[in-house]
Amino acid sequence: MVGRAPGVPLLVCAFRGSPASPRNAAAHVGAVWSEAPCPVLVVDRHGALVQLNRAARSLLPRACGGVRLADIAPSWLSDAHRHMAAGEPGVSPGPLTGSIDERHFEAYPSPSAEGGVVWWLVDGTDRHRAEEALHSAQERSSVLAEASSRLLATLNVPRCMEVTAAMAAEHLAEAAVLVAPPHGRRHTLTYAHRGGPVSQVTRKIDPRGVAGLSEALQGYPPVPARWINPDDIPDWLIPEGFTEPVGSVIIAPLPGHGVPAGALVLLRSSTRKCFSDGEEAFARLFAARAGAALSAARLYTEQAAITATLMRELLPPVLERVHGVEYAAGYRPAKDHERVGGDFYDFHPGADPTQETLVVLGDVAGKGLDAAVLTGKIRNTLHALLPLAADHQQVLSLLNGALLTSHHARFATLVLASVSRRGGWVQARLTSAGHMPPLIVRNSGEVEEAATRGTLVGALPEVSACTVETTLAPGETCLLYTDGITEARGGPLGDEFFGEDRLRRALAECVGMPAEAVVERVQMLAAQWLGGGRHDDMAVLAISAPKTGPLSVVGGEVRHAHNRRSR
Amino acid sequence: MTGYVPPEFSVEIAEEQTRCTVRVAGELDYDTSDELVETVVVLLRHRPRTSAVRLDFSGLTWIDSSGLSALLMIRRTTSAIGAVLCLDNRPGFLDQRLRLTDILDHLTGPAMSAAPHGLGEEDDTTRAGVT
Repeated sequence: MVGRAPGVPLLVCAFRGSPASPRNAAAHVGAVWSEAPCPVLVVDRHGALVQLNRAARSLLPRACGGVRLADIAPSWLSDAHRHMAAGEPGVSPGPLTGSIDERHFEAYPSPSAEGGVVWWLVDGTDRHRAEEALHSAQERSSVLAEASSRLLATLNVPRCMEVTAAMAAEHLAEAAVLVAPPHGRRHTLTYAHRGGPVSQVTRKIDPRGVAGLSEALQGYPPVPARWINPDDIPDWLIPEGFTEPVGSVIIAPLPGHGVPAGALVLLRSSTRKCFSDGEEAFARLFAARAGAALSAARLYTEQAAITATLMRELLPPVLERVHGVEYAAGYRPAKDHERVGGDFYDFHPGADPTQETLVVLGDVAGKGLDAAVLTGKIRNTLHALLPLAADHQQVLSLLNGALLTSHHARFATLVLASVSRRGGWVQARLTSAGHMPPLIVRNSGEVEEAATRGTLVGALPEVSACTVETTLAPGETCLLYTDGITEARGGPLGDEFFGEDRLRRALAECVGMPAEAVVERVQMLAAQWLGGGRHDDMAVLAISAPKTGPLSVVGGEVRHAHNRRSR
Repeated sequence: MTGYVPPEFSVEIAEEQTRCTVRVAGELDYDTSDELVETVVVLLRHRPRTSAVRLDFSGLTWIDSSGLSALLMIRRTTSAIGAVLCLDNRPGFLDQRLRLTDILDHLTGPAMSAAPHGLGEEDDTTRAGVT
């Protein structure tokens, strides 16, 4: 407005100067320009139009000699002319650009007589559009690249939904809501508002109340944005902080692997322009990427949950002192990051001290989860056969029948031990089904092998086994173990087995130790022997007769404790 | 400590008229047992008239439970076509494992029927230890 201070007289000047100047200016410019294909305007230094060619006349139909440029041309051109006539330097370094009636022009001035200016307008509409298209394509592809890298960086479903909603609000709309597929009747909703925090709630909603939402959640093709009435959007679909009325809506399905991964709702307020077709198409592209990432995260989470559930079932039980007998066990799977494997043990305490406690330790051919699943089957079957535990052969026969299959010859070897306390002593019935016989550590320092033998279970039509009965004096221990211990490969050169002899020597030093200490000692020696080497599953289980048992109602126990003290 | 590198596992086949010999060398374990079963199954599929399969273990350096499982699977295959299975040149550790698991008689028994295991002398409960 400062430059315009003498604006009022300017108007007068323009009228006064106009009769003389057109002819002079035209004479300087020459006649050729009048046929030029680009619009040309001759404007005097006061801003009045002197002459224009045919192209300019069709562009600016209201223009004629003597009219002020400001009245017929857009301000970007008239302002530029005023600056030019006043001799001020141009504002921008590049060519002057602007639009006239939806077309885009570059304006090149050349000086004319008496401070007048000839404006040459070059139509750059197509180039301008191409540049804009290129720019937005670049922007979109960088958004998609960012979406992919941010979404694929996480396999956590809630985090994936947050990133999707936040990116959608940032790049595609003013606000975005991600509606996850229902869990029962409840949906997890993730809200994002541009510039605001992302929030997540799980609630009961009725997607049928929103046109296109229940279809999107079922994976049907999207409903065009123009079919959705913004007034129908319920309050629960509007993020907190989005106060203006909703102007336009896109509901894009998130396609998953086989099952839909949810729907993305994009909102724009009524003060902003509606979503264009291009934006709608881009929203679908974005939704496709987000859907793939969400779906991968969901599949992974489900798998991990299934594995965790199975693992929980297959984890070995915790052993403890029961009915005056000490039990302890330790297990190290072949791969330290897996918690289950082909070795197993189980523990079924007797209902009361007069009942036997059944202990089982075994090894399934194979490794990892495959083997672990078979150990689960064996443990369940043995649990069911518990009432028959008085007859180990019968138990093994029935177990063998339950495991036989024509698909594979995956078998198990195991040891059954039925243990009970009689006075201060512990009685055990031991049966090996193709497994290393238990080792018994006597108080004399002698290590005995229980003389039980039998057929492995799960591969042959018939099996047989023999049971031995043994008695543990207070302080004596019976050790059940798998070949992972004796076949631990290591030693000074890394190629030697730990072996049964070394195990026996180690046990000879464990005389009088409680069960837990024996297990720890054996595990520690085997681990030392291994060094960092590869190993198979290793399981160890010890049954001990406690040295000084608690005074119990059993008469023998009390007498025994007295005897020991008096010695 | 140097890492233990097992000797290379190999399976070689020598075919005669109605018999074939499969020479097994190296470690027969979790990693290699499938290969042996596959080899024998394919071999017998093409030679249904085979009357005897000899597994030659002179080059065997180790066997684990998966290896035993493979032998049991091979036994099923040979039984199906009525062939006998022989386990030749058994190293001590193999014998020990076959004895421990009580499957030697089954593996090398008569072709058509799975050898019935007489509970016989083993049926009596042996008593051991302090009484």
